[in-house]
Amino acid sequence: MNILTIALRNARKKWVRTLLLLLVFTLGVVSIVSLNFVSRVVGEGLEKKLVSFGANILVSPKTEKLTVSYGGFALGDMLFDVTYLDEADTLERIDRIELRKNISVIAPKLVVMDRVQGMAVAIVGVRFAQEKQLKGYWDVAQGAIPGEEPAARKMTDGMHDAPAAAPVPAQNTAQNPTSIPAPIPAAASPTGLAQAPMAPLGQPLDTYRGNGVLVGSSAAAKLNLKLGDTLPLGKAHMVVTGILAPTGSEDDNVLLADLTFVQQAVGHPGKANFVEVAALCSGCPIDDIVTQIGAALVNVEIRTLRNIVEQRMYSVQFVKKLILSVSLVILLTGCSMVGISMLSAVNERKKEIGILRSLGFSRKSVFAIFCAEAASIGLLAGLIGYVAGYGVSFRILAVLDMAEGATLSFEPLHLAATALVLALLTSLASLVPAWKAAAIEPSEALVTL
Amino acid sequence: MNHDASTRPDAAAGQTPIVDAPSLDAPSLEAPILEAVNVTKSFTQDGTPTQALKGVSLAVAPGEFVSIVGRSGSGKSTFLSVLSTLLKPDSGELTYNGLDLARASEADIDGLRHGDFAVIFQFHYLLPYLTALENTLLPFMRGLRPVSGAQRRRGLECLERVGLADKGHRLPGQLSGGEQQRVAIARALVKDARILFADEPTGSLDSATGATVMELLGQIHKDGMSVVMVTHNEQYAGLSDRVVRMADGLMV
Repeated sequence: MNILTIALRNARKKWVRTLLLLLVFTLGVVSIVSLNFVSRVVGEGLEKKLVSFGANILVSPKTEKLTVSYGGFALGDMLFDVTYLDEADTLERIDRIELRKNISVIAPKLVVMDRVQGMAVAIVGVRFAQEKQLKGYWDVAQGAIPGEEPAARKMTDGMHDAPAAAPVPAQNTAQNPTSIPAPIPAAASPTGLAQAPMAPLGQPLDTYRGNGVLVGSSAAAKLNLKLGDTLPLGKAHMVVTGILAPTGSEDDNVLLADLTFVQQAVGHPGKANFVEVAALCSGCPIDDIVTQIGAALVNVEIRTLRNIVEQRMYSVQFVKKLILSVSLVILLTGCSMVGISMLSAVNERKKEIGILRSLGFSRKSVFAIFCAEAASIGLLAGLIGYVAGYGVSFRILAVLDMAEGATLSFEPLHLAATALVLALLTSLASLVPAWKAAAIEPSEALVTL
Repeated sequence: MNHDASTRPDAAAGQTPIVDAPSLDAPSLEAPILEAVNVTKSFTQDGTPTQALKGVSLAVAPGEFVSIVGRSGSGKSTFLSVLSTLLKPDSGELTYNGLDLARASEADIDGLRHGDFAVIFQFHYLLPYLTALENTLLPFMRGLRPVSGAQRRRGLECLERVGLADKGHRLPGQLSGGEQQRVAIARALVKDARILFADEPTGSLDSATGATVMELLGQIHKDGMSVVMVTHNEQYAGLSDRVVRMADGLMV
């Protein structure tokens, strides 16, 4: 028995009022908790979808660039001191930044220009494992991504076999001039870069080091490329292993080959033109990531593809703000109810307060009794509401057809935090009534004049 | 100064030992434990100022039983409230053991109410959601520290003393009016106060129950506690050591 007994016994005595308040607050907590759980799952789902649209941070070497025009005729940009990034060093440094956990993909690239059938075309050296993560929208229309087996369906679609990274056939074709040397086997790479590329945390290492090439849909049409065709690149040649379905992106016009192969073929082993970084998660501190990458790398330009980032974030943030607004309204309503209820309780319990004061209870003690009573309701509502909200979330996700694959973890710490925050909120809501109760003089309540 | 009311000749004769008190009551030989000098108090009721106390003085000696009698509206309850610190006087002096109560800090006043002073009212004013024992132990429930075993035993003793040892678990609503008032007395006894202020303690009770309550007060006084009681009942007032009369906010 102590001062809390007085608060709790009164709450029990006035059980109808307590139950109603508890119900309102519990409902509020249930909606807040379940909305938060659901929004988290929806946000994560959205995020996964958004990640598939590509990277949002571009790391490239600093270049001296001059835009030249004369007589109103644009001559394009002149580049001085074209530099490359050291792939291994760049990836290693990015991998060490503090916010590394917020980075989902690090994808280095080396772009080279070459002529195929007399037509200039860009050949992009990529790490296919990372690139696939970055380009969730890729759909291979024919064959397969270099290093992968063609899908069974596509194999039966009449596509002739084009084994990934297969050694170049001995026979010559129109695209296979005799001057083209055999591909450089990755394992035999004199630079030893076969083991150098790093896989971002939690991702498989891209071990493919062959000469397969994935051709963009437009490039395949313009160059009339088919699976198994060979193409020259520097001292080596490539074999078409797959053709992409139209993506509506720049990938439609380029040829994509393994980065190590391209580096070796063009004589820039271990080099990259730029690195794409995908750092997409709700609430990701993009600016901080950029700052940390900037600090880790010297002589690089870092560009944030803000529009994409902001558009992606907007959707997630909008949902969260909406939920926050609804939550605030619910909480304010609950707090108002507690405040009004406690205020009427103060008027009802004037004599009781007078008795307590006549027995030597200080104003602080009386204040504490009313706050404790409100806090007990908040605490209980927080506990019940969190558990119920957790259960309701699954039901809502099931209704939204999003329950499958959703991961909702029951966090005891969150439960405790919810209960404490609710206790604090209800205490705050009862501040005015408690203050009013503390201000009551025993004479007001007890003295008959 | 302690007297057993039943042994006094005037009490034995069934007469009320009323002291024809002047405005300042008869001085005690002992140094007063509580002293009010020229206390005034006014209120505004319905926009009309009312002077409830017009310079009242009283000295209570240690262990003395003083009854204040007077008609309704005479100011006796207001005076008792001033004496028990429930009401602040407008002017005059009020001292308890040398402490100027008119100027004492709120913490000092709270300390006195919790320790040395005990008040019982015409209506029992028990907390309806606490049992008789819990109501008795209420003075010990001011903080987060739980009521100790010794305090609990003390509470049971007090309930036993008022004849409610077997009803400690009952809520006030399950007790009769007399029993409720006895719980209020037990609550006043539990903290070993030095002065008991009783405002019409039998006012809401039938005569038999009132007599029981008065008997209890007599025992408490006999044990050495000072008692200041306001009553209409001349017979009950006669049980006290001294009776002072009030009329129109003055001692008469």
